[in-house]
Amino acid sequence: MFAWTPERTKRLRITLVALFVVLAFGAWFGWYKFFRVVPQPPFATADERFKYGSIGGEDSAGIPYWIVYVLPRVFPDKLPGPTGYASFGFSWEEGTELPIGFTKKTIGFPRVANNCAGCHVASYRLSPDDTPKLVPTGPNHTFNLEAFFRFLVDCARDPRFNAGTLMAEINLAGDLSWIDRMIYRFVLIPITRKRLLERGPRFAWIYNHGLPQWPDWGRGRDDAMNLTKYFLTTSPLDDTLGPTDMPSIWNLKKYKTNPGTRMNFAGDSWDANSVIIDSALGLLGAGPANNRMFLEEIKWLTKYLEEYQAPKFPLPIDQARAAAGKAVFDANCASCHWSARTGTVVPVQEVGTDIERIKSWNKAAAVRSNETVRALGIERRGLVEADPTGYIAAFLDGIWLRAPYLHNGSVPTLRDLLEPVAKRPQVFYRGYDVYDSLDMGFISREDQAKRLGTSWDAVKAVATPYDVRWRSNGNMGHEYGVTLPQGEKDALIEYLKTL
Amino acid sequence: MDDPWRWRFWTLLAIVVGVPVLAGVLLALRFLPDRPVTYANIEDHFKYGSTGGERNAGFPLFIWKALPVVFADKLPRNGATGYEAFGMIYEKDEHGRPRELPVGVMRRRNLGLDRVFVNCAVCHSTTVREAPDKPRKVYVGTGASHFDLGLLEKFFGDIVVDERFTANVLVPAVERESGGKLGVLDRNLVYPVAIALMRERLLMLRDRFLPLETEKWGPGRVDTWNSAKAGLSFVISGLPEHERRGAVDFPSIWNQRKRKHRDDGQPMQLHWTGNNVSVEERNLSAAFGTGATPRTVDHAAIGRLEDWLLDAAPPPFPFPIDRAKADRGAAVYTKHCASCHGKSGQDFSGAYVGHVTPVAKAGTDREHYNSYTYELATNQNVLYAETRYRFTHFRKTDGYANMPLDGIWLRGPYLHNGSVPTLRELLDLPEARRATFYRGYDVLDPVRVGFVSDVPEENGRRFTFYDTKEPTKSNRGHLYGVGLPPADKDAIVEYLKTF
Repeated sequence: MFAWTPERTKRLRITLVALFVVLAFGAWFGWYKFFRVVPQPPFATADERFKYGSIGGEDSAGIPYWIVYVLPRVFPDKLPGPTGYASFGFSWEEGTELPIGFTKKTIGFPRVANNCAGCHVASYRLSPDDTPKLVPTGPNHTFNLEAFFRFLVDCARDPRFNAGTLMAEINLAGDLSWIDRMIYRFVLIPITRKRLLERGPRFAWIYNHGLPQWPDWGRGRDDAMNLTKYFLTTSPLDDTLGPTDMPSIWNLKKYKTNPGTRMNFAGDSWDANSVIIDSALGLLGAGPANNRMFLEEIKWLTKYLEEYQAPKFPLPIDQARAAAGKAVFDANCASCHWSARTGTVVPVQEVGTDIERIKSWNKAAAVRSNETVRALGIERRGLVEADPTGYIAAFLDGIWLRAPYLHNGSVPTLRDLLEPVAKRPQVFYRGYDVYDSLDMGFISREDQAKRLGTSWDAVKAVATPYDVRWRSNGNMGHEYGVTLPQGEKDALIEYLKTL
Repeated sequence: MDDPWRWRFWTLLAIVVGVPVLAGVLLALRFLPDRPVTYANIEDHFKYGSTGGERNAGFPLFIWKALPVVFADKLPRNGATGYEAFGMIYEKDEHGRPRELPVGVMRRRNLGLDRVFVNCAVCHSTTVREAPDKPRKVYVGTGASHFDLGLLEKFFGDIVVDERFTANVLVPAVERESGGKLGVLDRNLVYPVAIALMRERLLMLRDRFLPLETEKWGPGRVDTWNSAKAGLSFVISGLPEHERRGAVDFPSIWNQRKRKHRDDGQPMQLHWTGNNVSVEERNLSAAFGTGATPRTVDHAAIGRLEDWLLDAAPPPFPFPIDRAKADRGAAVYTKHCASCHGKSGQDFSGAYVGHVTPVAKAGTDREHYNSYTYELATNQNVLYAETRYRFTHFRKTDGYANMPLDGIWLRGPYLHNGSVPTLRELLDLPEARRATFYRGYDVLDPVRVGFVSDVPEENGRRFTFYDTKEPTKSNRGHLYGVGLPPADKDAIVEYLKTF
């Protein structure tokens, strides 16, 4: 017969205590290795924080550090070029562990995610032997975001994405403890693979490339509104395509001080705060883990971007010629680019540029997006709930660094833009960052490269071919100033350097 | 009644538990020890001591010894046998017999085997004879002018795809090398597994390094940065052609302390292109060549070498020096050379010492400069990640570093690419420098200073032809002092003998 003898009670008590200790240790261990949040070390400058500061992406979209680390070593064949992560055209500072726009934060284990700077730090060189100059908040015209999206999914789809292969490479590169190696082998690698594979179907439209008329985004562009549709609101894929240049995001205050202006290429969003929130949510790939912290970072970013000023043209400017150019500008350009109309929508029928970007967005998508963000408990003025009708007449501050031109980056230099459509280049190369101060833009054609004595830096090897005959890549429209005499064009270009 | 069962129980327990425990202990004793062969004498430690790389890349000793026997047909056909065909040096032991391993090969008990691999000394020590009939002396700390690393790498790449690289062929060869003392476990398990693992690793390395065409480097030279790119899994064949080759001479590594300060108080720019200012980081970078990865590196052993190299000094010039002539030379040198190369072999002060001279101004072969790219520099930022040794100092520079000339008499041939056989020729116009010569012969030229370079063969050992018309081998540039009167040039050379 069972009876609660004192001895049995004691034994039970000991067992329970032991059990509790084991469970408590297990819970602590699980928390420590998987959930413990270690804040990033403080940043010395605002620029550093912009470049490497977490916006919260590590929770939902973070990839374990060592997996990010070894992917280009295990899958060099899936990279867009021969030079590891550098081949994506990230801006990567010498001496810095991760490319700009990559954030590293420990949540249990070190994780890597992305922030705004990945697409919004520009690089340029004045000669091929220079190291790149980096401009925070400038457009990253060298970064092949689409290739990066595809790389992660393609790696996960490859049979080499397994614990054995990845661990062999990790062991060559790092010095992980036994327990961390086990965690990677049995937990992180399989889960990461699963998560990356889940991204695949949503990205189906970026795998269409190669179909007739369906171009790559290429370096320096993304299909921003489709990303919003498919990822923020999980709308079904449609047949639209609207890749546009990564925009500069300096001096956002101008949208505040000029009432009636809107943001995004087609004026799809009411204000800077909304655009920043929506873009950041895109990077998180999910609602923030902590709304308060997320919105605090947004507030900081908004302030930083409002204040940051466009960089000055880095070479001497012929002031007399620029002064003459100002007259040309006032007569031919100012009505859109320096007037009350600046920052407002110009109907596409009027400007005549490629229409595909406009077709990639609509009222229903805006309504759904606004609902989605509201449901996350985030208040913002949001997206304009109307079908887009045209393109924003751009503010031209820092226009020298914003090549290639037009919303879809279809015209390589400002001088090309002052030519009639028939005379604009049909094929050129994007993503090479040596600056062409004569025509204002980046060197983008081999003949030019030869002319400037830089033919050694094979533009082809580092740039993405960009052919304006592909759908959405049209270089038509905006035929303003194309009939000006050569001298006036030269003067106008000189003036544009001063903006 | 219980007694026989009790006896049986204990016997059974002893068999079931005791035997596996005993076996485990024996196996642990066999396979767990990790012991480098160490040397009290620092020069011996340099020549034969461990960097830890054997734990990653080490060949089992008997396999190392068997390879040139089994694959004798794959050795360079230059009249030498064994590893001497690559210019490796076997010293004599205290009994006057050749040592088991050549200079620059280290040894460690690891994973139940003696494992061997090359260490720092293989590229940083050389032999010298004062005349053809004089004895060979080994000097440490200078570039291994006669060692052909490229051919050694080619050899390993060739044999691993040879049909004889199997346990069937190699185990009997190992048996012979061991003097017939191979145990059952070794013969049937340890060596077959070791051979399979070696094959896997060598195939991986072959895959990455084959595109470097290492056989074209020639003795005394290495394509440092393309090797680094290959290690980082860059797709060499995808790089622009002008970045794909850049072989240079192995440098001397004495007097590191003096390289930590130059006249402006900053550390000197190290490496031929001056791409790193940290002695310690440079050392860890070079140690990758010995197989030392973050996980396997022996920081203590390398630290010992590092400390020694701080003040290790080159040996004195082994021939008489004309002091009066050297004094005259000192005056000319001070005027024409000292600002870039230091006051003397001991005093490295000078306004430009340890600074970089732009490549166009130096005028020397560009290929090595081209081979070090911004993309590589940024990728190097992740080496030793997540440790306190993470690389942060690599920078793309605009030319070649001005080097101190300590021990310059022992550092021939000259210029970064070893394209000028003697110092005296370096003071002449490129057209007057020898267009072709031979490398690998170790007799000194006491007049022009450098190695005698017009000997194609000695006692059946053929040396390596160097043609300055070939890529990476140009002898142009460095036109400093070429206009001086011949007597002044002779005097400079006399002064340089004192360095």
